Amino acid sequence: MEAASVAQNLGPGAELAGKYLTFSLGNEDYGVGILSVREIIGVMEITAVPHTPAYIKGVINLRGKVIPVLDLRLKFNMNHKEYDERTCIIVVEVQGQSAPVQVGMVVDSVSEVLNIAAAEIEPPPSLGSSSETENILGMAKVKGEVKILLDVDRVVGEGLLQQFAAQ
Amino acid sequence: MTNGHKPLSDLLDEMALKILMIEPGDLSIVGELLDLIEQLLPGRAAADTPVVIQRMAVAFKGALEKFIMGELADSAENYEYLGQCITEMQESARKEGHPGENILAQFCDNMKKIGLAVDPSSLVGGTAAAFAGKGEEKDGLKAEEECLVAASSLASASAQPSGGGGAGQEAIPDFLQDTDLLAGFIEEAFEHLESIEVNVLELEQSPDDMEIINNIFRPFHTIKGVSGFLNLKTINRLAHATENLLDDVRNGKRPMDSAVIDIVLTVGDALKSMVEDIKDVLQNGPANYKDTDISGFLVNITRLQEGGAEAPPVEQISAPEPVSRPEVFDPEEEAEPPAVEEEAPVAPSRPATARGGVQPASVPRVEPPASSAARVSADSGSKKIGASIKVDVEKLDALVNAVGELVIMQSLVRQNKLVSRIADPKLTKDFSQLTRITSELQRTAMSMRMVPIKQTFDKMIRLVRDLSKKSGKKVDLIMEGADTEIDRNMVDSIYDPLVHMMRNSVDHGISPPADRAQFGKPETGTVHLRAYQKGGSMMIEIEDDGQGLNTTKIRQKAIERGLISESEALSDYELNNLIFLPGFSTAEKITDVSGRGVGMDVVKKAVEKLRGKVEVQSQSGKGSLFVIRLPLTLAIIDGIIVRVGSERYIIPTIAIQESMHPEEKNYSTVHGRGENLLVRGDLVPIIRLYEIFGVAPTYTDPCDAIVVVVENEGRRRALMVDELLGKEEVVIKNLGGLDVPGVAGGTILGDGRVGLILDLAGVMASKAD
Repeated sequence: MEAASVAQNLGPGAELAGKYLTFSLGNEDYGVGILSVREIIGVMEITAVPHTPAYIKGVINLRGKVIPVLDLRLKFNMNHKEYDERTCIIVVEVQGQSAPVQVGMVVDSVSEVLNIAAAEIEPPPSLGSSSETENILGMAKVKGEVKILLDVDRVVGEGLLQQFAAQ
Repeated sequence: MTNGHKPLSDLLDEMALKILMIEPGDLSIVGELLDLIEQLLPGRAAADTPVVIQRMAVAFKGALEKFIMGELADSAENYEYLGQCITEMQESARKEGHPGENILAQFCDNMKKIGLAVDPSSLVGGTAAAFAGKGEEKDGLKAEEECLVAASSLASASAQPSGGGGAGQEAIPDFLQDTDLLAGFIEEAFEHLESIEVNVLELEQSPDDMEIINNIFRPFHTIKGVSGFLNLKTINRLAHATENLLDDVRNGKRPMDSAVIDIVLTVGDALKSMVEDIKDVLQNGPANYKDTDISGFLVNITRLQEGGAEAPPVEQISAPEPVSRPEVFDPEEEAEPPAVEEEAPVAPSRPATARGGVQPASVPRVEPPASSAARVSADSGSKKIGASIKVDVEKLDALVNAVGELVIMQSLVRQNKLVSRIADPKLTKDFSQLTRITSELQRTAMSMRMVPIKQTFDKMIRLVRDLSKKSGKKVDLIMEGADTEIDRNMVDSIYDPLVHMMRNSVDHGISPPADRAQFGKPETGTVHLRAYQKGGSMMIEIEDDGQGLNTTKIRQKAIERGLISESEALSDYELNNLIFLPGFSTAEKITDVSGRGVGMDVVKKAVEKLRGKVEVQSQSGKGSLFVIRLPLTLAIIDGIIVRVGSERYIIPTIAIQESMHPEEKNYSTVHGRGENLLVRGDLVPIIRLYEIFGVAPTYTDPCDAIVVVVENEGRRRALMVDELLGKEEVVIKNLGGLDVPGVAGGTILGDGRVGLILDLAGVMASKAD
């Protein structure tokens, strides 16, 4: 109870404060909660999986485990960019239907881990349609730069992974 | 999307399998059926379940409840009708919820035969509550409670008349304080009880083997101890009494005779059902708890102990008695109301001489001591028990994964261009040593997931024993290769089909002694149950020397059902294997004429789910041989790696019939679209894999490419690929949350990349769209 009231005093960003792994897509900077990040690996050969949307790049072998990989650029309807030596796959863990599942996200480059305070976080802007912002937890202003904090569960959540399975 | 619901067809398949397993008097399976059908009730069913099916389910459940309440006759005939009702539900599911009036009328007709009036129109229009049964008016949960109470009161009621005394009644369970401990006890108790049963059956072979008696004594002792600690008084008292009786045997105060064996077996069954009840209480709350009356057992045990001195000497029982006598006095049949658990043998009150006749040991002579391959392994098996530990399956899987990765990494390092250029003999030697160690590690890790099939086989001993007793036939069960190992995950799934096939062999295959004598066969029929490894497969064979399949009748039936045409010439082998087609299932019994064919399609489906195959060879009058071929493990699949454009796919070898470069003259099209290939006289539709999977192929002309002819669920297709790359055993992995039609899973190929394993049913379906 006490924690909740403290959170209220600190404003809307309080429960979002914490450590974020930041990365870039084009000119934009993004952040994902450090607790859902499992590891960061370089781009490796991805096996395409048929009957999936374009942003699902396919599956990779993560030390003996097969995990799906999605391209965040394509997911956010940005232009495709050739993978280079800075391209990374961030492996995150999200809650699947029964057990946690690991999913890889292809990003342009990984920047750093930032400690973001509650005061630096603002609610997501309204950009008209809600589908554009529903993946966003909030906007953080750190050292004059804006980081878009992503809701990983929404971006790569199981529901999304399964949408096409029904087709 | 199913949202955690099992697909409808799977549920119905499962129900079909269960109904085959039912025997009159076996309410436990009726309970399981009830659980399944409840998943189809309105409100509980998956959203996409057709309304008709939900309503059929309501009617079906009403019928089941009446069975449990005893309002309807618990007869084989009625279960037959129920089975047909399931078939009709399956039919409706296939038609996506729009069955013709025909099917609905049949459904209602079958329900009426059971004794439940259902109006066909109520299944399609109007409200669901329009039929005469009263079950549908209760809400699901309440009905379930009542059933459980009914079941347990039935059980205890049946114990009353045989027992007499009213000792050992408790009303309120006071053992629910430590549910964790209790859950552990339940699991352990089941294991113990199983080992008791196995050991008792072994004891019938060598009644004076002290080691086996000890093996029976110990689990009773453990159950007694733990149940006492957990305040499970009834179980404790029963286990204690039995332990005392066994202690007398151990100390030589009385011999291990058939009366003792009988009581140990029935006590084992009773304990099992009591533990089952507790498990139920643990899951569904104590409301339904009803204590079992064990006074009958206690009285019998005491009587046995008191009269112990006049028991026949051990030698009398141990004398081999190859001729079984199911017709002699049978305590089970005389004193037994529906619930098998509660039987109370009256044997002890009989004079000592009669006891030899009661001897259950003689009924299925499990194996003649002369040919006892399984026997030897069984003995060594029971001695190993102490030296094992329990490991979480997930940890095991993780180990297997890691080892698989190790093997791949090792080969990657070895193939590294720089490394392979080093011409150092020491390095070469070290590498080969490393390879040896890793492959040893891999073998061990894989074998840890394997268990001997003995456990499953042992259950068949009891099954045959009971079946032959009931049907008055004489059957020898000879088991071979019980120590053959099988994937742990497969054990449970193979049990049901195996039971069904064993039952078929004893029920229908083996004729009554008199008939057998007419054909010049020995009165005692023989059923062989074999397991062995062949190539990369595990084989299970069930062979009986019964009457075999009647190919003429099968042919006739197949033509009637439109499965084959009048003019089609089929070999006996092909005809026999028609019994696995769905058309041969419950609809009309072929049993009357040839003795086989009920529900074999369910067996086939269950085996195919395990990526196995089942076949039958039979000679009319001589007997039948059922062969089940299973992969050694579910984790590994034997596959052919094919290339399509830049992608590689794995086709399960078991489905592949042949591969070839098609010739122009064999290629034909229908309306310029449907492509076919003439393969050995059959037209096989061509599926261009690159079209389905959207990849750019090397070849677009089938005559340049290679086609792989595959068979799945009786349908053949020619898959067009660019190249065959090789054959490999691959470890199946799921795609980490991706569920894609046409793809069964992924695997890690030799170069570390992921290859996709084809799901042929899905591939064929996506082409059909």
